[in-house]
Amino acid sequence: MDAAAQIIFGGLFQGSLYAVMAVGLALIWTTIGVFNFSHGVLMMLGAYVAWQLTALAIPFSVVVPLTMILMAGVGWLLQASVVRPLIGRPNIVLVVVITTLAAASLIENGTLEVWGPRSKQIPALVDGNAMLLGVGVSLHQITIIFITPFILLALWLFLNRTRTGLALRAVAQNEDSALLVGLNVKMLYGLAFAISAALAALAGIFLGGYRFMSPVMGADPLLKALIVVVFGGLSSINGPIFAAYLIGFFEAVCSYYFGLYWTPALLFAVLIITLMVRPEGIFSGKSRGLA
Amino acid sequence: MSTTLEIRDLTAGYGRIDILHRISLTIGNFGNVGLFGPNGHGKTTLLRTISGLINPREGSIRFNDIEIAGLSPRAIVEHGLIHVSQGNRLFPDLTIGECLTLGAYPKRARADEEANRDAVIKIFPKLAERWRQKVRTLSGGERQMVSIGTALMSSPRMLILDEPTLGLAPKIKEELCASVLGISERGVPLVVVEQDVEFLLELSKHLYLINHGEVATEIQPGQSLDHSEIMSLYFGQ
Ligand SMILES: Nc1ncnc2c1ncn2[C@@H]1O[C@H](COP(=O)(O)OP(=O)(O)OP(=O)(O)O)[C@@H](O)[C@H]1O
Ligand SMILES: [Mg+2]
Repeated sequence: MDAAAQIIFGGLFQGSLYAVMAVGLALIWTTIGVFNFSHGVLMMLGAYVAWQLTALAIPFSVVVPLTMILMAGVGWLLQASVVRPLIGRPNIVLVVVITTLAAASLIENGTLEVWGPRSKQIPALVDGNAMLLGVGVSLHQITIIFITPFILLALWLFLNRTRTGLALRAVAQNEDSALLVGLNVKMLYGLAFAISAALAALAGIFLGGYRFMSPVMGADPLLKALIVVVFGGLSSINGPIFAAYLIGFFEAVCSYYFGLYWTPALLFAVLIITLMVRPEGIFSGKSRGLA
Repeated sequence: MSTTLEIRDLTAGYGRIDILHRISLTIGNFGNVGLFGPNGHGKTTLLRTISGLINPREGSIRFNDIEIAGLSPRAIVEHGLIHVSQGNRLFPDLTIGECLTLGAYPKRARADEEANRDAVIKIFPKLAERWRQKVRTLSGGERQMVSIGTALMSSPRMLILDEPTLGLAPKIKEELCASVLGISERGVPLVVVEQDVEFLLELSKHLYLINHGEVATEIQPGQSLDHSEIMSLYFGQ
């Protein structure tokens, strides 16, 4: 009972974190067709912005949405500076890897410069602890587990049930056609990055509420998000959502039975096997292809 | 009131190379217009300049007496000038239904979305059977139907078709030509580029032969030309 509860709780929690992180990355890939390697750094910056706003004595219920809005702006600027000018180049996927890595390095060092190396923490979403099925858990983590599905559902509905969401999915598939049906291409590219960055910031707030923050805190989540996206398939955001929870549970099982030490190695083994058997990802019909 | 498109002394091209050399034509005074001419002489370039995908270097384009030269494609779409481009791949990962919905993206088309969708299904009943199929898996003919259907969803005041029957088998081509004629009969003025002059003559009595980025010959209604004369226009000089 104890083991089951611990695995279910751990899986749901990790899965939620990975889903929020990965879905932003997948959004950029499925709409614009590039990988944003500064996604982890956006997450980190989100946590620092939230910390700064909290330090200014702004109530935390305002800090969360305000941080997401500010970070959406950062995402927009990032897109305008290092992605949009490159659209239309034949080797865009590769070039954007480099420009977003460069941006990530700049932002990371900038953060270190501004806020210093001392680790910080932001308030939990909800303070306190609870006993659940014999396992002690923090209310912060429970909150994350409960609100994440709503966030993912909202994003899914936006992409699949609204006119702007449809336009967002279409815009990078064919630039000429996008222009000829009257899409505002610049606005939509900016919007994709803005939403993605806001989600990254939210992941940063989730993480910063129970772990110490540092300017390099985004690296591991970015790696995990990449794994989730590759594992789940690149053709829509649904695959990564399922994959995030699957990997969350996989990690929970592994760390329970084999220990934390072996978990990354086992995860990579599974990833490599997946890529050999189903290169398009497990939840995906057909990949867009990286070229 | 007829819809008119007046092009005066239009110069445009790619990079530093001009493809169109001060071309002038008037579209709409006699209904539909057909454009034909040898490959690579600037028909597609002309249409892309009209719809704003290429910025003109010089000259004027007036749509219903409003200057549209240099406007963004989006602004031109909002004026109701809709362009179905040559060899259009459309949106490979969208379904037919989604493509058509996207066609209703321009603000001026939104109110008529339902009516337009019904009209498209009437013209291309085949699309209704494949509503949830992805565009990438469609045959060339089906994709052309979706392209034209998507354009109709934008409530066109004038519809530009660039070689709608390119690469289609004769039977499919015939069907598509019939559909295009049907669209014209519904009152949407057409500008059509085609290699098949027979089809153009069925559609319109007002033709332009485009050669070297200029109008080589204009054929107006009443000035009936037979097939061999057109062929000699095409090949001779
Ligand atoms: N993107 C481009 N960049 C540079 N030159 C181009 C480009 N597109 C077309 N051209 C050139 O412009 C000229 C006119 O091409 P255009 O496509 O307008 O001809 P067309 O009359 O439509 O021919 P077709 O009947 O084969 O479709 C050609 O010489 C072509 O090589
Ligand atoms: Mg052409």
